[in-house]
Amino acid sequence: MTADLSSAALETGEVLVVERLGGGLLELVARLPHLAATAMPGMFAQLRCGHGTSPLLRRPFSVAWTQDDTCGFIFEAVGAGTRLLAELEPGDPLDILGPLGHGFSVVDGGSVVCVSGGLGCAPFPLLINELRRRGVEDILVLNGARTATRLYPAERFARPAVPVVAEATDDGTRGHHGYVTDLLRRALGSRPSAIYACGPNAMLGAVMRTLLESGADLPPTLEASLEAPMGCGFGTCLGCALPVRGEDGTSAWRLCCTDGPVMSMRDVDWEGLRALPGADVA
Amino acid sequence: MTGNRAGGVDLGRGLTLPNPVGLASGTAGYGFELEQLIDINRLGALYTKGTTVHAREGNPPPRVAETGGGMLNSIGLQNPGVDVVASTYAPRWKGWAIPIIVNVAGGSIDDYVHCARVLEPIAEVAGIELNISCPNIAQGLDFGRDPAAAARLVAAVRAVTERCMIVKLSPNVTDIGAVARAVEEAGADAVSAVNTYIGRKIHRASGRSVLPLGTGGLSGPAIQPLALAAVAAVCHAVRIPVIGVGGIADAASALDFLIVGACAVQVGTATFVNPETALQVLDGLRD
Repeated sequence: MTADLSSAALETGEVLVVERLGGGLLELVARLPHLAATAMPGMFAQLRCGHGTSPLLRRPFSVAWTQDDTCGFIFEAVGAGTRLLAELEPGDPLDILGPLGHGFSVVDGGSVVCVSGGLGCAPFPLLINELRRRGVEDILVLNGARTATRLYPAERFARPAVPVVAEATDDGTRGHHGYVTDLLRRALGSRPSAIYACGPNAMLGAVMRTLLESGADLPPTLEASLEAPMGCGFGTCLGCALPVRGEDGTSAWRLCCTDGPVMSMRDVDWEGLRALPGADVA
Repeated sequence: MTGNRAGGVDLGRGLTLPNPVGLASGTAGYGFELEQLIDINRLGALYTKGTTVHAREGNPPPRVAETGGGMLNSIGLQNPGVDVVASTYAPRWKGWAIPIIVNVAGGSIDDYVHCARVLEPIAEVAGIELNISCPNIAQGLDFGRDPAAAARLVAAVRAVTERCMIVKLSPNVTDIGAVARAVEEAGADAVSAVNTYIGRKIHRASGRSVLPLGTGGLSGPAIQPLALAAVAAVCHAVRIPVIGVGGIADAASALDFLIVGACAVQVGTATFVNPETALQVLDGLRD
């Protein structure tokens, strides 16, 4: 099936600010009217990093939030591309292609749990905004990171009314001392009607194991935003394959960029995914 | 070397491209994604993803890795198989102005012959490009490395197709001109050069190759001077039309290929970075 790219477009926006949130987290804000008007929760944009041929490929980033004609992106300067983005100054042009990808299925009611690991916070502000627009008020964010400074600030998950955010850090510097999956286990008691997760693929696998081992009735909407090394972002290079379970139970490949990045957690072949190298290797 | 270089290109057997700028195989799928992003019908040709007898799931990830000025890929010819292309994809090309040239790959002469036979009656298929140069599947390069084997393959496909037949050459050979001459003598109407260069990238932390099969195909601006040298050699070796491909990112890098004797070009990896690159190249060649 061909991906629906009808809303995707090349757009040159203007950088408004690159904000340092602490712990290495950065939030890039740019005026991008087309992207702001068309991005749905869970969709991403391909950002050009610099103007030369190295780094060559665009980098995919979730559209973290939109407001009027501006968009936010949350990232960390870890490689050649993100370091160039971190150096952008207000007024610099920002060359993007988007919105791209298959986003979240946004529910219209009930209670919702969002599970975030590290930079997995990125798609949630836009999702939470859309959930609220649809009248969903019972939203719990479970936000985990290695250490306190690397937790995306709770008040940024939604404005103006901050949702309930429970935090966990691996080193215990804030919130629960442990993993976000510990918080998830407790949250299942409230029988959420949708669970959305985003983070490193290994963390998402742990989320799925936690859900299955809990014995709880799992909601029909159980979705994760995954990651993979990506070439084009629009379904032609076939580079960003992820393992899913086919209808006959065998494993098959699906593209992170057009079949995802958001997939039903029931469809992902988690054992196959765990066997792959991390997305950072490329 | 000035003036309009964007006119029609006669590749033989009744196939005239409306202009010399095409989308390279493996970087444009079957056109259905790019059709939504760009005015694809302004371009000279779409060379499809490599198509095989049976559907292929492709290689395990990671399948792509960025390198200095380029990228490695090891997709493994993921495609739906020639029957799906003929029955499901071809009807969707009806009415497209851009000529569709189906890239065909295989592991044996019979594979290529079968694909050519299936495509022969399909009106929407303007020509075929024989991929004898894929570095990412077993036997992918066997035909491309041996002039005699390449000639046998081309002669066998020639016997079953009246369509324009282009042969895509591998740069991973000692003498690309010898392979080009062999396929010309065996009945190829044109050659395209080059496919990707075999490359490798090491993951520093683990000391292992990033790509699971070890090596992949290198493309992107980094290979343009290498491809240009190979295409110049091919142009010296044959009289049939030569289509230049490898690292083209703008009109200037495309013009280089026309200057050394190519009659047309294909834009590949640059489309991933900017889907409009091929159109920009075309407009640049008009000026």
